[in-house]
Amino acid sequence: MEISTNDYRVWTEGSDIHYEGTMRLSGTDAYAPILEIMNSVLASKPELITMDLTSLEFLNSSGINLLAKFTIEIRKQPEVGVRVLGSKSIPWQSKSLRNLQRLHPALELTIS
Amino acid sequence: MVEDFGETTAVNGGDARQFCLTLNAEPLELSWHHCGLTSDFIGEYFSRACGKGIDPVDARHSISYMINEILENAIKFRHGGDVVIHSSLEDQTFEIRIVNRIDQETATKFQVHLKALLEREPGELLLERIEENALNPDSTGSGLGLLTLMSDYEAKLGWSFTSERVSEGVELTTYASLRLS
Repeated sequence: MEISTNDYRVWTEGSDIHYEGTMRLSGTDAYAPILEIMNSVLASKPELITMDLTSLEFLNSSGINLLAKFTIEIRKQPEVGVRVLGSKSIPWQSKSLRNLQRLHPALELTIS
Repeated sequence: MVEDFGETTAVNGGDARQFCLTLNAEPLELSWHHCGLTSDFIGEYFSRACGKGIDPVDARHSISYMINEILENAIKFRHGGDVVIHSSLEDQTFEIRIVNRIDQETATKFQVHLKALLEREPGELLLERIEENALNPDSTGSGLGLLTLMSDYEAKLGWSFTSERVSEGVELTTYASLRLS
């Protein structure tokens, strides 16, 4: 599954979800197709979901809300683990991704 | 009448590097994509003006994120008219003032929202708002922009509402500052 535009690309490989580019969509409705892809991965109940954000240069606060909402959905299913991969060279990730861990302490966050 | 909320006093003085940009409403047909374009431009501009001891990559991103979030609100809630962005950098302090016009009803709702926002610890309120948004399928996700700025970027924010004639709506000035490092 994949959504691709001039600004960003989101695609899945098994239970890995990859994000790339700059996401500045206008709100929950605009992010709905992306959430749908993410929810379809969760619906397959994998042991571990990986959200790979290492190529996501920019995400606005509505996008942060999307990641947080999905984290809460995963939290409801304790048999599904979650790992978030970030990059130190992308400043928003060191500032905002720790909020996901505060929402779901079992979430494994690696920013390298 | 003028009503102020939060921190509305500028720190940067006449020696600061300054930059003013007006997004004219009519010829531009102001829309969403102007937010990202404008914030990236100003972020890039000031990251090149940063002195020693400031990481330009972090400065570019933080400035761009801050302006984008405030401009998104300005574009979303504006009641016609231009959007004016004043920005300045002095030593490690980056400040902006974004001026736009909103209607009286929006102003009243926003003031209630701000009162609640300023009474609480922003990190705590951010998590609370995220949990509320997740529970409410009709939630638009709005309200996180200012909270992420205060909590994740330690930005200082202030708002000034000026109204003279009811028919003209309310002039909203949003003040925001960041300490770059």
